[in-house]
Amino acid sequence: MDDRRLKYLLVLPAVTVVLATAVWPLGYSALLSLRSWKLSRSAEPGPFIGLENYLWALQEEPDFLNAVWVTTVFTFWTVLLTTVIALAIAVLLAPGGRLRLTVRTLLILPFAMSPALIGVSWRFMFNPDFGLFQAFFATIIPPLAEVQWLSHPQLALVVVIMADVWGWTPFITLVFIGGLAAVPGETIEAAHLDGAGGWTTFRHVVLPQMTNVIGVAVILKAIFSLKTFDTVYMLTNGGPGTSTQTLAHYVYVNGFKYYDMGYASSVAWLMVLPMAVLTWLYTRFVFARPGRA
Amino acid sequence: MVRPNAARNEAIQVVLIFLVLAVMMIPIFWMGSAAFKYSVDVYQLKLFFEPTLRNFVEITEPPYLIQEKFLNSTIVATVTVALAIPLATLAAYGFSRFRLVGEKMMFVTILATQFLPAVVIVLPFFIMFRDLGLLDTRLGLIIVDLALVMPFGIWMIKGFIDGIPIEIEEAAMIDGASRLQVIGRVILPLAAPGIVTAGIFCFIIAWNEFLFALILTTNEAVTLPVGLALFKAEEGELWHYIAAAGILIMVPMWVLALLIQKHFVQGMTMGAVK
Repeated sequence: MDDRRLKYLLVLPAVTVVLATAVWPLGYSALLSLRSWKLSRSAEPGPFIGLENYLWALQEEPDFLNAVWVTTVFTFWTVLLTTVIALAIAVLLAPGGRLRLTVRTLLILPFAMSPALIGVSWRFMFNPDFGLFQAFFATIIPPLAEVQWLSHPQLALVVVIMADVWGWTPFITLVFIGGLAAVPGETIEAAHLDGAGGWTTFRHVVLPQMTNVIGVAVILKAIFSLKTFDTVYMLTNGGPGTSTQTLAHYVYVNGFKYYDMGYASSVAWLMVLPMAVLTWLYTRFVFARPGRA
Repeated sequence: MVRPNAARNEAIQVVLIFLVLAVMMIPIFWMGSAAFKYSVDVYQLKLFFEPTLRNFVEITEPPYLIQEKFLNSTIVATVTVALAIPLATLAAYGFSRFRLVGEKMMFVTILATQFLPAVVIVLPFFIMFRDLGLLDTRLGLIIVDLALVMPFGIWMIKGFIDGIPIEIEEAAMIDGASRLQVIGRVILPLAAPGIVTAGIFCFIIAWNEFLFALILTTNEAVTLPVGLALFKAEEGELWHYIAAAGILIMVPMWVLALLIQKHFVQGMTMGAVK
């Protein structure tokens, strides 16, 4: 068989699977989002109602706007904290030596944990009666001794953010260590010879050469923050009330607790829009790589 | 004057490194140690305790039967990888070595797939599986997990094939090998370590997957992460059992992750960071 046909046959099965398992559901949920369909009342899809589901979410549903707000706050803080802390740890671990290489290896451990398990672990750590972190914070900040973190609307969100940052920082650190290794040593030596101190060198020599890697990390983390579900579900299940309910959790509740397929699909689609923008930004980094035929 | 300063800096850095290590390991250690405690010891902040393995035995007994969840997780992740990796390898070769009409479009689609919220994908599948009777089956879970691992597989393996010099193939073709023979006898052996790496990576993703399993399984096909929710009694959560199940979820993945640690970053970032 000649290459001109073979090359398409090679990619066809995989592309078909991607189309069937991801693009089809995306299209199908777009159609569902235009229908009224409560699965609890009818096994068959209801009538087309145009954009009513979307308008309902945007105009009539305080819970939707709450989920947008929670997701925004969560994404902002997790992206910021993860990026800054990971950058600091990467700088700390960048030089070689046995201790640093050992710690680098251990960084893989939190990241290989199921996010659901991370959520459970943090609920254990903040158990009001015997949680280790609960006890720790009660000791260093005595006014917090009586506070039940996971029952407090704002503090519960703080715990969710902490758990997520804990889970993601090791991985982003590894990304940054890779980025730091790609910064040519001569540029740093030259800065030192010119009399620049550690911070000045980092700020004006290293950081500018890291913009691409930081960009990739920020977008990637933002995407994963926006769709956070597992950790939230296991840690707080959106509560207390709806104070830690992210958009993904809100879709889950509407789809699989209230069985409102039409409405859940419309909110899911509202989630896809910011994701599409971020994905488009991300492709610019992926395709910016030189040397691809 | 420079020397004592450098020594002091290094001392501060070592302290900071140990601080990082502590924050990273304490939740893992604390949760992990609960798996080996008698339940009375879990409910006290005890650092020293009499270790026991009975939690691991008890979670295999009714009504928990954790070994069934372990089996489900193993089968689902294994079959998903076994289906995804051969297809991903062929596609990766195609994308690596040829220019295709609509290539960029296909790339963006594959990439975007990876970034879709899982909750968007699962709604239509829930409805379809309900009609087809695939809810609460391992087959159903394998089908949706394919959506999850396929893009990672294609991207990672393509990265490895990109690194194989094309001259090797040309030499084989001059010796009369067909394109398929080249793939089978030249590319596969050279890319094998990369293909195995991608397979392990996809296995970890499928193993840790939670949302699909939560929604699409209820009883028969429940996997380990969803099984964590089983350990509840009237008096509350049974943390010593949860911790034991947690060990079963994370320790096998640690072993696999350490095998492929150098490639973890590349896989997760879809090659945007090498």
